[in-house]
Amino acid sequence: MILYLLSIVLLVLLAPILLSYIKATKMVLLFKRPISIFQGYRNFAKLMHKETIISKETSAITSYAPFLVLSPLIVTMFFLPPIVVGSYYVSFVDAFTITGLISLSTFFLMLLGLDSASAFGGMGSSREAFISALVEPAMVLTIFSVSLMAGNLGVGQAGVNLAEHFPKEHMASFLFAGISFFILLIAENGRIPVDNPETHLELTMVHEAMILDLTGVYLAIIESAASIKFIIFASLFASLFMPFGLEFSAPIAILIFIVKLFIIATAVALLEVNTAKLRLFKIPNLLGLAIVFAFLSLITFYVLGA
Amino acid sequence: MFQFDTLSLIFVALILLGTIPNLFYSVGYLPHIERKSYYVVHYFTFILSMLGVVVSANALVFLFFWELMSLSSWQLILTEPKEKETLLAARFYFFMTHFGFIFLLLFFLIVTNGDLDISFSQMKGIATSFAYPTILFFFLLLGFLSKAGAVPLHVWLPYAHPAAPSPVSALMSGVMLKVAIYGMFRFLFDVLYPWPLEWGTFLLIIGSVTSLVGILYAMGEHDIKALLANSSIENIGIILIAFAMGMIFDSLGLQILSTFAFIAAVFHIFNHMGFKSLLFMGAGSVLHQTHTKNIEKFGGLIKSMPITAFTFLFAAMSITALPPTNGFLSEWMIFQSMLSSSNITDDMTLKLAIPFAMFALAMTGGLAIATFVKAYGITFLGLHRSTNAKHAHEVNFLMKSGMILMAFYIASLMLFAPNYLHFFDTMLVDMGMPSVYAKIFPQGILHMHSVGVHGGVVSPLILFFALIFVTSLLLFAYKVFNVKTRYYHAWACGYKTSAKTQYTATGFSGVMRRFFNWLYKPQEHILKKNLAGHETKFSDASYSVKIKPLFEITIYEGSKKIANIISYWVYRLGHFEQTRYPAMIFNLLLFVLFSYRILTHDVNWEGLLIESALMIMSIKILVIGDKK
Repeated sequence: MILYLLSIVLLVLLAPILLSYIKATKMVLLFKRPISIFQGYRNFAKLMHKETIISKETSAITSYAPFLVLSPLIVTMFFLPPIVVGSYYVSFVDAFTITGLISLSTFFLMLLGLDSASAFGGMGSSREAFISALVEPAMVLTIFSVSLMAGNLGVGQAGVNLAEHFPKEHMASFLFAGISFFILLIAENGRIPVDNPETHLELTMVHEAMILDLTGVYLAIIESAASIKFIIFASLFASLFMPFGLEFSAPIAILIFIVKLFIIATAVALLEVNTAKLRLFKIPNLLGLAIVFAFLSLITFYVLGA
Repeated sequence: MFQFDTLSLIFVALILLGTIPNLFYSVGYLPHIERKSYYVVHYFTFILSMLGVVVSANALVFLFFWELMSLSSWQLILTEPKEKETLLAARFYFFMTHFGFIFLLLFFLIVTNGDLDISFSQMKGIATSFAYPTILFFFLLLGFLSKAGAVPLHVWLPYAHPAAPSPVSALMSGVMLKVAIYGMFRFLFDVLYPWPLEWGTFLLIIGSVTSLVGILYAMGEHDIKALLANSSIENIGIILIAFAMGMIFDSLGLQILSTFAFIAAVFHIFNHMGFKSLLFMGAGSVLHQTHTKNIEKFGGLIKSMPITAFTFLFAAMSITALPPTNGFLSEWMIFQSMLSSSNITDDMTLKLAIPFAMFALAMTGGLAIATFVKAYGITFLGLHRSTNAKHAHEVNFLMKSGMILMAFYIASLMLFAPNYLHFFDTMLVDMGMPSVYAKIFPQGILHMHSVGVHGGVVSPLILFFALIFVTSLLLFAYKVFNVKTRYYHAWACGYKTSAKTQYTATGFSGVMRRFFNWLYKPQEHILKKNLAGHETKFSDASYSVKIKPLFEITIYEGSKKIANIISYWVYRLGHFEQTRYPAMIFNLLLFVLFSYRILTHDVNWEGLLIESALMIMSIKILVIGDKK
């Protein structure tokens, strides 16, 4: 139980570092002087000291939505698969609940965008709605496929099962599901081919456009929600698609898990440096790819048993 | 004449639960209706006839109440016949509902051998001895699904439901559609019981297509009530998916999975009744205050109408299946029963086909979020987009209490889901299915299990309280932190923040409209006053877009066109000059001789081709003649 709570706290603390690490890696690769990997904390501290400016046009939604964006993600943190064998984990929550909680968070984020009566907010909400509508089917199919291989729909249990019996005989469909999930990781977190988190240009903004009118504590909350969302997806990827290294003693296993997270972050950073942001109307092609891979994974599992 | 078995009683409960909050709302709404006695008479007739349909025990009574229900709702649409659209919508509804009625009548005439007085169980014997049960199944589908609004019989719904006064729209969308589903339950179980696998598969396809088409048109819609009506089509699709999964599992002999799927269907029926009624009531309140249904004219109503806004938000969260609401629970059950398709052992095609239905359902869920963010955000958030919206204020006490009661009902579905599921389970046990309640809740009511092997688990109450706890902890921390707050205008790039700088509903759905262009085929109208001949500079511009459903254009208007062409030729035949009549008689003779030869002797394809070519040529030359 202590290990369980400890791992949650560790992941929450790791969340801003991971995003700063991606940014720093990108800067190194672009021959810039990198930011510190603790930049996320500095930003957080700076925002916490600022006063909150709420626009006069907004309603009660703006004063509650930031909390409702963050709280489903925090609840999700408790349902992640264990990172050490023998640690407590919530076995009963299935992947639909997790996707539902993430949708709940996105729902309030989109309302937040529409509440400030600015054109940017609406634009961001509209785009986010479009992308998340297309993410949903790929997500469900990937979950289905992974749960078939893991033999359980519960996320925690699936992580444990995969670690115990790595599905060597289903390697092909496992790989397809992994590719599909990685595309979803990028799309859901607004990383580069889908959304560029670093610009504030109306042509490219999706996530940033929705939160353009926020500042101070509210912005800090939303930023932490974004980093927590990334760590949820990264640790799901690490537990479900890199299911090894759990059987070591607690400190080593945790270390291995953190290394896995950094590997994923590096992969994302490399992808971001090497690709350009897609036009909004090309994004369905990428997500369509995810859907196709999810179907392929299912079909290979059923038909070939591979 | 009447019967009160569990199935009937469950639907009686559904109708009563839908009606009681609606009564409050209706009484509050009444001062704004001009023909009060007309409205009241038809309103109560409508409710009583729905009750009559679900408790009737023989075909004659069933058909009587069914027809009464159709007619009274038709009259209710005509309560305020001020606009031409209302009349057209009522006419369309009248046509469609009787189109379905004909098939129901045919069904009953066949399964009763013409004696409409016999009970449903007696019909079963006649139906099993009937040689073509699939025809009976299709009669049922055409009869009930034209009322429920499944593709392609759904086109009337977005016209008829918005045209009625808002309380009636709530009843029609929330309750009347479910009465049609009751008919499916009643007659598929009582009369046509052993279902071939193909029926379920067919219904699954219908359901998937219906849910996707419904939500896509809801996304493109700008009339708030038509948006909700389109979303009703979507939810009927979801119910049909669950129903079809039940049928498929039953015909494969997986009785327990089948019961689970049917429970999911009934649960979604109850959920949809709740949130759709509430959404229509909320839309009615907004319409009542702003006197327009156009979503572009609303905005900022959350400040002036807080109760409407928050109940609408609750219903919107539930209809988009966000946890921990009841809508999420029923959709979760439907997903779980689809995932249980991996338990099917012998039918590989089906195992591979069901993920496609899952894809449709998941896509529907994603699009539903987009649609209701649009509906809620544009209506209630931001700044008011018209003077009508500026002067709106909260509706009267009775209307408010109607909405709050309905919100309580939805909350009860969320918090006491196990109790409701227990009722549904009892109903299915009485219909001859095995009980699965103990399998859904094996460890107390906190955890809901799927009945498939290695199925999922969800804990609605734990989720609900965890979310409440974390959110209030965060809010508490915020209060303790005592952040300095300043209020100022939103920054609009140096311009003055005004209602015009906001995103519109047209803009919000613009991305979708562009991506689904092949389906929407939007008719765009752009008006620009260009400055001094510059293409890109203009002083004044307006953009409007209208989406006409593809199904309406192809099936309905297409068949209208074909009927027109045929009637033109029939007209021409009757008005030829007399010299052509001998030619027609000659052709008829030729036709009879040729047909006789073909029918009595063995069919010879070359001869057939030559003869038909001869026929066509002689008709063209002798009868039709040259084009003038």
